[in-house]
Amino acid sequence: MKKLVALLLALCLVLGCASALAAPIEINIYHHMSSDTARGVVTEKILEKFNQEYEGVYKAVSSVNPDFPTYQEKVKAMISANETPDIFCYNFNPNDLSRQNSGKLMDLAPYMDEEWKARFKQSDLDLLTLDGKLYSLPRAQQSAVFYYNAELLAAAGYDQFPTTWDDFFACCEALKANGVSAISLYTADDAWYATCFLTYVFSSVAGNELANSGVIDCEEMVKAAEYLQKAFAYTTSDAVGGNYSVASNNFFTGKTAIVIDGPWFMGSIPAEMIDKVKVAVAPSFADGKIAANYQVTDAQSPWAAAAQEDPAKAEAVVALLKYLTNEESTKSYTLDGSEYQSARLTLTDEDMASMNSVQREYFNVYSGGEANIVNIQRNLSTAANAALPSLVEALVLGECTAADFVADLAAENAY
Amino acid sequence: MKNRLTFARGMMNVFLWLVLIVMLLPFLWLILSSFRPNMDLFSEPFGIPDTLNFNNYVAVLESHPMFLYLFNTFFVTIIAIVVDVAFAVGASYGLMRHFRGKGMVAFVLSIGLFIPTNAFLVPYYIMINKMGLYDQLMGIALVYAGVNLPITVMVVRGYMATLPTEVVESAQIDGANSLQTLVRIVLPISVPGLVTACVFVFIHCWNELLFANILNQSDSSRTLQVAIRSFLTTFEANYAYAFAAMVLAILPTIVVYALLTNQIISGMTAGAVKG
Amino acid sequence: MQKRKQQDHAFLYTLPALVLTIAFFLIPLVYLITVSLFKWNGLGPMEFVGFGNYDYIFNHRNFHKAFRVTMTWLTSAMVLHIPFGLVLSLMLSRQPRGWKFLRVMYFIPNVISTTAVAFMWYFIYHADMGLLNALLRAVGLEQWTNTWLGNTRTALFCNQVPFILYVGLTCIIFLTQISTISPDLYEAAEMDGADGLRKDWFITLPLLKPAILTNVMLNGAFCLRAFEYPFLMTSGGPSNSTTNLALYIYREMMSANRYGVSMAAGLVTIVLGVILMSSVTLLQKERS
Repeated sequence: MKKLVALLLALCLVLGCASALAAPIEINIYHHMSSDTARGVVTEKILEKFNQEYEGVYKAVSSVNPDFPTYQEKVKAMISANETPDIFCYNFNPNDLSRQNSGKLMDLAPYMDEEWKARFKQSDLDLLTLDGKLYSLPRAQQSAVFYYNAELLAAAGYDQFPTTWDDFFACCEALKANGVSAISLYTADDAWYATCFLTYVFSSVAGNELANSGVIDCEEMVKAAEYLQKAFAYTTSDAVGGNYSVASNNFFTGKTAIVIDGPWFMGSIPAEMIDKVKVAVAPSFADGKIAANYQVTDAQSPWAAAAQEDPAKAEAVVALLKYLTNEESTKSYTLDGSEYQSARLTLTDEDMASMNSVQREYFNVYSGGEANIVNIQRNLSTAANAALPSLVEALVLGECTAADFVADLAAENAY
Repeated sequence: MKNRLTFARGMMNVFLWLVLIVMLLPFLWLILSSFRPNMDLFSEPFGIPDTLNFNNYVAVLESHPMFLYLFNTFFVTIIAIVVDVAFAVGASYGLMRHFRGKGMVAFVLSIGLFIPTNAFLVPYYIMINKMGLYDQLMGIALVYAGVNLPITVMVVRGYMATLPTEVVESAQIDGANSLQTLVRIVLPISVPGLVTACVFVFIHCWNELLFANILNQSDSSRTLQVAIRSFLTTFEANYAYAFAAMVLAILPTIVVYALLTNQIISGMTAGAVKG
Repeated sequence: MQKRKQQDHAFLYTLPALVLTIAFFLIPLVYLITVSLFKWNGLGPMEFVGFGNYDYIFNHRNFHKAFRVTMTWLTSAMVLHIPFGLVLSLMLSRQPRGWKFLRVMYFIPNVISTTAVAFMWYFIYHADMGLLNALLRAVGLEQWTNTWLGNTRTALFCNQVPFILYVGLTCIIFLTQISTISPDLYEAAEMDGADGLRKDWFITLPLLKPAILTNVMLNGAFCLRAFEYPFLMTSGGPSNSTTNLALYIYREMMSANRYGVSMAAGLVTIVLGVILMSSVTLLQKERS
């Protein structure tokens, strides 16, 4: 009898091991980089390689939602549904720490060995550390720069991108006379193009310090809002109510001549258009208020992971996070995916030579940056962010004044 | 007098056909546009395609599991219909007879009619999560069944109430038990009412986006409605692809409708009136 | 004893429906009322705020706007959609040539998902490549072209056009009722020399009251929960001019993460629903 029990136990052990061997630990990674974009292709390749290297042990399975604002809402919904994806990314906002405070994210600090830690800038890690806990891993904080269609600008008499805001609007006027809408903007979803523009003007009026202070209710913002109102006179008819896809597509089809976007944008430029597209430093008021090459960046958009009960699963998740931020993946994201990573990277001359003309221009403008201002919407409260698109629409449709717009936004932000 | 009447009748006919054209012209435009390349759509929105070009369709089918979405939608719809009709038949049959607390039961069952269920967005969401059915077809199907039960009960009960009570009583005198009476006598003559109820539930489930959207995360539980919503963003505003995807999404229902027209319309005509 | 057993049986038949109703209506209602008294972002702890959320919505113009938009939807159902369906069915009931075909075709948009229809109309209204502007240009009405969905004056009505236009189901409900009217009534009226319009007015219309009430109920319920059209065609814009209560509830939950505010707005919608449906029920009782 005893023998039989022992035999059964042994059998169970063997079967248990066998099944553990047969089924690698699955890691769900939920992100927004769909495979019809360059960064999506890179993500797919990195995960494929990871799965090969860890064959039989770990298996990364990704699901994608390319609609970023919806993607972010979905992540929050999943956390509250107790279905937190094993790995995901989101826009860090110091005024919305609901994800970090949910108790459902993994603290990465215990896993931060010296080697891994050295991959990141200390300032990035500091930003994401809360009460000594590291709930997120620096992924990307990317500059949104001015891209322009050199052919359309030349036709309007501009061989160079305007350097002052006055000149910028003169250029818009000239483009309009040629039947071209000057700039891609949109107001639906998160109205991001519009807030990039708003933040650029705000920074050049207010200077670095005020622009990064999180203050909304000020004269400088009112002036910036007036300029935003003006800019909408030079955009497409579908800008009000349009979303990111509509507005970026307008640039690709030559309906607009200028767009403010991040580096990933380069990964979507159609091949036949690459030669026409150039990258420029933003205009200013030429009054020395702000450094000559100043840049509006998006939020830090870190990786985060779900808290795991099973230590083996936690190991798996950490292994994938390390893989995603290693030198090779970082390089691949930057060069092939046009997705600039927070993890450290040194580029060789050979790497530089492998870039196309737009990528090189972006890199030069980006690396020559003298001042960074985070897009103002990334520091707004959740409620203010939800109200933002309709406030922008009210502003550009002339339903309210620039002063009303700023007052309303500040009021929502205070709730 | 006679002439004036004929003229009025003629005008009426013209009006009726005009309405039909206004209703269906957009669909024709959609179908024609789905065969044209994206760039052409902007240069000349209202053109006839030169050739029958299926490129857009191929691209859509390669990038999206349209048939899976279609299956998912059918699945949740069918489950909701089966649950609702079965429960509503039970309730209506029970309410045909007398028992203590009947008034109370009838009242509770009618409460749902007064409530616009979109108000329950948060409660349903939490409930489905707690049941572990988030991102599962059963979760969506269950919500659909719950939401549509009141109208189903109203239609089925309304129809059954018009059945002559002698039929039921005589069956019982013949010694049939209550279940036999229900299956053999009541159900067969209630078919028009059931068809009407099915159509109502079908139309609602087939159209529903709100709950499907918040309860879904992955492809495995994505309904057509949620998929269509994402077309504009996933296709990077390639409108031609979006058009093809929409045609693929609406075609199967039109085919099913065309096949079942007679049953649906005649069933409705007999069933809706008594509701 | 026998009778008692049968009574229990009768109750048992209603049990499944009863359970489902309690699970999907009574419990959520209690939950809704409770949580609407809390401030909650869906992830963290809840904070009791009493009537704070109600105070917020009743004093916020976005909620006022959403309420007004929902009322506009209800009005469009009562003043445009239902009368249009009624006129069509009265015409069809005269059985002109091809009326059966027309009846079948009118119903088609009802079996196509609202999502696809809303999306399609988004393109119809599109300023540059839309069908509407293209048609206007084709007939030389260039100056009438408009950014239909980007204009606060036109966006809401444009949202409602597909709803107003697609009256298939409403029509069928009317036609069904018309078909039950005894031909004798009409014959008697003809003897008195009544023409078609008078017959419609004096005989058909009064007898259609049950169908009218059914349609008010169905379409009223649809308007209270109308979500797809504003969500997909304009996402509630421009500047909230098309955000109705359904979309407001969704936004407050998903975008603003104010679950309490969302549920307070939900309760207001329920009150509206109860008022609407109670009036219909009262009118129904009156007839019988």
